[in-house]
Amino acid sequence: MTTKIIELGPHQLALEEPMYFRVRLEGDRVADLDVMPGQVHRGMEHLVMRRNLYQNITLLERLCSLCSNSHPSTFCTAVEEVAGIVIPPRAEYLRAVADEIKRIASHLFCCAVQANAIGEIPLFRRVMEIREIMQRAKEAIYGNRMDLAANVIGGVRYDLTPEAVAYLYQAMEDMKKPLDELYLQFANNPALMARMAWVGVLPREAAVECAVVGPVARACGIDYDVRKKSPYGAYDRLDFEVATQTAGDVRARNLVRLAEARQSVSLIEQCLAQLPAGPLCADTLPEIPAGEAIAKSEAPRGELMYYLRTDGSDFPVRLKWRVPSYMNWDALKVMLKGEPVANIPLIVNSIDPCIACTDR
Amino acid sequence: MHMQVEETAVEPVRLFRINTGSCNGCDVELAVTSAVTEFDVEQLGCRYTESAREADVVLITGPLTVRARDEVLRLYAATPRDKVTVAIGVCPVSGGVFRDSYAVDGPLERHLPVDVNVPGCPPRPQALLAGISEALAIREARRAGVEPSRKPKQGKRPNADNFPARGRLSFDAGACVDCRMCRHVCAAGAIRFQEGEDGVRLTLWHNSCVFCGLCCHYCPTGALSVTGDWRLDHPASDTFRQVERGEIPYAPCSGCGESIVPAAPQLLHAAFRRPNPEIEKLATLCPACRQVMSIGAPRR
Amino acid sequence: MTDCAETMPERNNLLRDNLPTTPLSPRERVPEGRVRDAFEDGVAAALALAAGEETTVTWRRDRKGVVTGWCRLPSGEALLPAARAVAELNGRLAMVTPYLPERAREKGEREIAYHFDLDGATLTLTVILPLQWARVPSLTPIFRNCDWHERELMELYDVQVVGHPDPRRLFLDHTLPNAPFERLVPYSTFTNAATGKALWDKVLAGEREDA
Repeated sequence: MTTKIIELGPHQLALEEPMYFRVRLEGDRVADLDVMPGQVHRGMEHLVMRRNLYQNITLLERLCSLCSNSHPSTFCTAVEEVAGIVIPPRAEYLRAVADEIKRIASHLFCCAVQANAIGEIPLFRRVMEIREIMQRAKEAIYGNRMDLAANVIGGVRYDLTPEAVAYLYQAMEDMKKPLDELYLQFANNPALMARMAWVGVLPREAAVECAVVGPVARACGIDYDVRKKSPYGAYDRLDFEVATQTAGDVRARNLVRLAEARQSVSLIEQCLAQLPAGPLCADTLPEIPAGEAIAKSEAPRGELMYYLRTDGSDFPVRLKWRVPSYMNWDALKVMLKGEPVANIPLIVNSIDPCIACTDR
Repeated sequence: MHMQVEETAVEPVRLFRINTGSCNGCDVELAVTSAVTEFDVEQLGCRYTESAREADVVLITGPLTVRARDEVLRLYAATPRDKVTVAIGVCPVSGGVFRDSYAVDGPLERHLPVDVNVPGCPPRPQALLAGISEALAIREARRAGVEPSRKPKQGKRPNADNFPARGRLSFDAGACVDCRMCRHVCAAGAIRFQEGEDGVRLTLWHNSCVFCGLCCHYCPTGALSVTGDWRLDHPASDTFRQVERGEIPYAPCSGCGESIVPAAPQLLHAAFRRPNPEIEKLATLCPACRQVMSIGAPRR
Repeated sequence: MTDCAETMPERNNLLRDNLPTTPLSPRERVPEGRVRDAFEDGVAAALALAAGEETTVTWRRDRKGVVTGWCRLPSGEALLPAARAVAELNGRLAMVTPYLPERAREKGEREIAYHFDLDGATLTLTVILPLQWARVPSLTPIFRNCDWHERELMELYDVQVVGHPDPRRLFLDHTLPNAPFERLVPYSTFTNAATGKALWDKVLAGEREDA
């Protein structure tokens, strides 16, 4: 069998962001690959040390626009942990609303991109149209379709008026049927089954060894969701099941995402129903003492972790974070092994890789 | 958006995208303009291409990272000479929040000429379409051998609606108390204060601003506010004119006559809710005179 | 507001019914703290056994019952055995944070924090290293996913990772100097905000023209 090395970039991989792979082929099958990140490395962990804690709220929201709310909210949680700030209950719920809206939009974008990668253009357009309901909601409530600007240290800086609550209820209602239909389509449609089932399989043992997180892990039967394992914000008062699958293939990953998107609709409805009255923010300009803290959250792509170290000044001594995508690239070596070249774009997109997040 | 669609419908104008290391916000919104009917670039007679050689209009996102530079320049060099280049979002123009990082090699202008800027973070799809329309107008003008028509861009444009999108920032110098909290919280370094002879001048540059509104959130008097005016696209020759500014005039302290920035009525209302005439006197006193009024002359 | 202390036992009961629990699982955060203590004691004992008796863990529990453990290792040599002990406890490497602590230059010290997930609890093992000629053993042979963390650590800081299987650069462009994070002080010698200044000069010059 002939061995060949090929290099693949964003254009060949149908990626929105620049990422390069060196793939070793045995015949026409993938034998190994080298992931070469760095194109979107903006030196952000260095920049955050030259910006004060307030500036970092906005800077971190620009880490990645698909999970943009997870970063400032988890960062603010770390600051609050260091300062011993207890955020008001209303703020906890409003953070959850923002996070879940982003989760739905992010998961749908991932499913749309995969439809595009296998040439299912009508499905791609349909998923993007459904996603528009969330995009419109984000703009109507937060003033931007990607970056919500919802978080501040001590709470949130947006509120839901009764009209906004009614609007969101309606938006959630509008999402239910399309999401249910999409789930059935990704589960049973023969054309999608043919491309996605038993493709890019990650066995559970390999998933544990690679230490993957988020929907990629849950699609292998790993029952891990930070919202359950390490509850934060309002999640200890919200009722939901961790969505899992066992097949570990492309189809399973999408079913986890679509089940979660549907569940996010329920979570948002629960938040709206339970939304406590009260202030939005604990303290406008709190003192941040010296200290260190860890904060975690379940971002759309999985476990997100922040470490913050402060010295009593406005500038962090160190702010480090690890995004879920960072943990999932390695598993591509397992998923792609033995796959034909034609499946590479789909499988790569099936881990919902976020390159802006990975490279920072 | 007064495009002559009939003329271009025959042969679509081809759009080519280059990501120079963006957060993917602009890129995801550009994907929307190829997927969602309402915002489809087809309505402008355009179509996306994957080939740099076919590019009529190049859309560039991101702050240009050191690592992406060579590939970006290679792709750009492969585009036709008569293409029009559009910078999407503030990152290519100023670096936005990523400016002055060791890993960023922008602004883009240092490496290649830009024709149109579309500020926003990210710009909404309507703004992207407006920016692309502007590029098409430039393209038409160049092909006809005339100067692109330059309409005055003063003030709020007719297209700007009152949608709650976070757009252009507005500054009310009369309410400003020169506390500079806005500059302190601005991640993008978009706000400058300059002390002049007669007062303090605030300048906010919309090609650096990421429209997060944190300045307004922390402004104690509401001197800064976010407007719904999202039509910020402009020819690159106007890059440095996209400013909001205002001068906070000095006034003599009513006690000693020294030049001070008087406290705005908004600040007194924020601090005291219902200021009485005694408290209102504080507004025009310098810190030293205020101290004298409150606790008497400081003792040595 | 619903007080979370009231709702938590109920939630835990729910979970306990659904999930098989292992004796050392922090999922068993029962209100009286009995089983949780067993988890904390078990981790501390395993670390003391592996890394030396003087190894202690400080546990913090937040309002939601989420546990974080903080352990400063007695020496650099203790890292490898401590990491092996965490692997034995089914720990998952979650993140590696190298940093220059406050007064790093005065003290001639740097630190690296290794954060592990223990089924929802986060355990941080911190090693203290000399500022100059710092070396740590690679944990990649124990935790496969430590690979990128260590490659990043090597390019961003002046730290040598001994025994890393693939010590190439990862994110940093080959034209950039190594270890940009070592150059925190003074900023001006590294990136002096030159781009920002040049741009603002033009903005302000334009204003003068207009005026």
